[in-house]
Amino acid sequence: MTQWEQARTETVSPDITEPTNALPARYFTDPEIFELEKEKIFGQYWVYAGHANTIADQGRYFTRTVGDRELVVRRGEDGDVRAFENFSARTGEPVVDETPMTDAGRVDATELEDAEEVRVDSIGPLLFVNLSDDPMALAEQAGVMKERLEALPLGEYEHGCRIASEVECNWKVFAGNYSECDHCQANHQDWIKGIELNDSELEVNDYHWVLHYTHDAEVEDELRIHDAREAQFHYLWPNFTINMYGTADGYGTYIIDPIDTGRFRLIADYYFRDGDLSEEEREFVRTSRQLQEEDFELVERQWAGLKTGALAQAQLGPNEHTVHRLHQLAQEAYDA
Amino acid sequence: MSEQRHPPYAASCPDCDVDLESDAPNEIVDFYRRHHRVTGHDVAFTRIDPALGEAVDEDDLDEVYTLADVVAQLEGEYDDGAPIGAVAAAMSERGTSLGETLEEVHEIRMNGALYEPRDDHLRAF
Amino acid sequence: MSQRDDSQPPAASEDGTERSNAVSARRLTGPGSLEREKEAVFGRYWVYVGHADSIPEPGQFFTRNVGDRQLIVVRGHDDEVKAFDNVCAHRGSKMVEDTPMTDPGGGGRIQCPYHLWTYDLDGDLRSTPKSFEDASLNPDLDSGEVQEFDCEANGLNDVRVDTVGPLVFANLGDDPPSLAEQVGAAADRLESLPLEEYEHGRRIVSEVECNWKLFAAVHFDGSEERDADGTLAVDDHGWTVERAADGDGSEDRRPDGLEAQFHYCWPNVAIDVYEDVDGYATVALDPVGPDRVQLIADYYFRDGDLSEAERELVRTTRQRRAEDAERAERRRTGLEGGASDRLGSNDRTGAELRRLAQEADDA
Repeated sequence: MTQWEQARTETVSPDITEPTNALPARYFTDPEIFELEKEKIFGQYWVYAGHANTIADQGRYFTRTVGDRELVVRRGEDGDVRAFENFSARTGEPVVDETPMTDAGRVDATELEDAEEVRVDSIGPLLFVNLSDDPMALAEQAGVMKERLEALPLGEYEHGCRIASEVECNWKVFAGNYSECDHCQANHQDWIKGIELNDSELEVNDYHWVLHYTHDAEVEDELRIHDAREAQFHYLWPNFTINMYGTADGYGTYIIDPIDTGRFRLIADYYFRDGDLSEEEREFVRTSRQLQEEDFELVERQWAGLKTGALAQAQLGPNEHTVHRLHQLAQEAYDA
Repeated sequence: MSEQRHPPYAASCPDCDVDLESDAPNEIVDFYRRHHRVTGHDVAFTRIDPALGEAVDEDDLDEVYTLADVVAQLEGEYDDGAPIGAVAAAMSERGTSLGETLEEVHEIRMNGALYEPRDDHLRAF
Repeated sequence: MSQRDDSQPPAASEDGTERSNAVSARRLTGPGSLEREKEAVFGRYWVYVGHADSIPEPGQFFTRNVGDRQLIVVRGHDDEVKAFDNVCAHRGSKMVEDTPMTDPGGGGRIQCPYHLWTYDLDGDLRSTPKSFEDASLNPDLDSGEVQEFDCEANGLNDVRVDTVGPLVFANLGDDPPSLAEQVGAAADRLESLPLEEYEHGRRIVSEVECNWKLFAAVHFDGSEERDADGTLAVDDHGWTVERAADGDGSEDRRPDGLEAQFHYCWPNVAIDVYEDVDGYATVALDPVGPDRVQLIADYYFRDGDLSEAERELVRTTRQRRAEDAERAERRRTGLEGGASDRLGSNDRTGAELRRLAQEADDA
């Protein structure tokens, strides 16, 4: 049932057919929850940091903040990428200024000598960091997603553009919205025209899920970089997605980057064969942005309802098993 | 009589004969939202920062004066997007009401051609 | 002779009491006050939400925010006025757009635009799209195992409403006393008037930069009526100022012989029944922040079209609110400057308002 009394919520049931199949609403709205998540989620799991092609040359770096920790991700003289805390024990100061991967800088290895090293690993050109002392392997967290993505020539594509939007809702609200398509028919009317929703499937794995959206026969999707005639959206816990639309020779990534409990930044990066956007590619990004804006409106409206505090525990539908997985992972992380 | 400093932005609801002055154009937008929510009334700017007028290039206006152009011209003045209130103030110079501008911003956003790098701050794609 | 009650509160002593009053004023109107009041005041007492006559037809609704909560107030098929949280029972999305009672919405059902869950006017879940009935996208679940959503268990959250005449109040508390108990004697006075025979004439909304209780103390003190020989009667949760019909045949009485009445109902609404003009007004104070309050004034007259005298009344009362707004803002500045003034003035109503605010804060 839908629970309206805060005192009567239960932890997420692992069984989706149970009425307590959703994460209690306070985990979305409590102003302190992001502080807890910095440790329990962003301090534990592998978190996407950026794309290796943006620091192709030795000595190039970008910075990225995960939880409260500002990191420097740098290509070493040996060609390997390493990550460091952006803090020098010697000077007590940050080593470099904030530098997004879209404007990568260059720093000498000697400047990072006193900085503490942080674990980094990769899936193809996608770089992940981990702040935990004793993390599971990235291969374990990513599961079959790792082999699938590494079978694709992701590294042959160049960064085309980045659009970062601030959105007024908890990051998990957007994550849930991304992960299901029960809202598509009513809210993505342009996009859904080319999708056979009945033939589509939402595949759930331990820490990631894949939305396979089957294109209908009319859609020209020869430009896709994967085999199946479908759009493929992969969500990797906690806050990374890779989007293969099937209608463009390229792909996109999202970082669902929390700012605080009530806001996140969606960092959308688009990759094409060639860094400069063609007219078609620009149009493709605009279409993708249209989907984003439609979703922003939905999640901000959901947030407006959630933050009234009226709802204590939602109840998910049978095809929201991806959202259910997301909620379970959050619950597991909090309880760990 | 003491000299009173006037904040650079002011707006009023003519139906209710109430007004609000502010240094920040986005506060005028917040006022409009609060007011519109319970009345359905529109709100009109009665004063805008003169510097804002200068930021929007008058010469181009006749040819390219769409809302997206105004955003494109204003966003250069700000680090993280043009405040939606500044955009509305600039548009009010051309006779578009605050409510109309917000509606148009929403429509263009929904096409993907405007985005918010920060809440209520706009940038053109 | 009128029986005007000029009793004063106990005078503040010259020793430590002044200071502790100032401390308590800061607690009651300071930065954290509104967050506490969302629970202690707006989450607990009956709060005026709107006028039943604005939604005469089944399915008509308006929205109203109380504290952090957003309510839908709707007339049911049984002709009763009901209220629900404007929050979908599926995943908590806001459902209908903000809709003022002056421009109500309508329809036979309430639908959430997110996943199209649809509720009837009793708040029961009536339909969900097909994707909530089978598991076609979920390879790990047989459609036969799909749980069924229940029209009541997955219905909207009911919010308690009750009325004084056509005035609708909502209560967000768990086990509140009755509305009649809270409103007290004013309820009988108001219900004896034919309030439902009047039509909404004007809504005027303005804002004041001070705490809502500070404005209430300044504006709802009934001084205008008291100055005109009105009688102040203080009740448990508010007060009434009335002019007795003294039968002196004075020419400014209303033709129907009704006397002027001013009722302040804790926490945030006053009802002013006018004397010179055949009509009444409600003024609700909605806190926007600890130091900003939105005033929603609604005027009701015999006929929705305003006569010149009615227009004049709207003008003068609006002017009075504006003057009181300036007084309240000055008082706020004084408080911030460290003045030992308390919430209200030193008179009886100010003391009552302090008592009510303190009582809520202590609870």
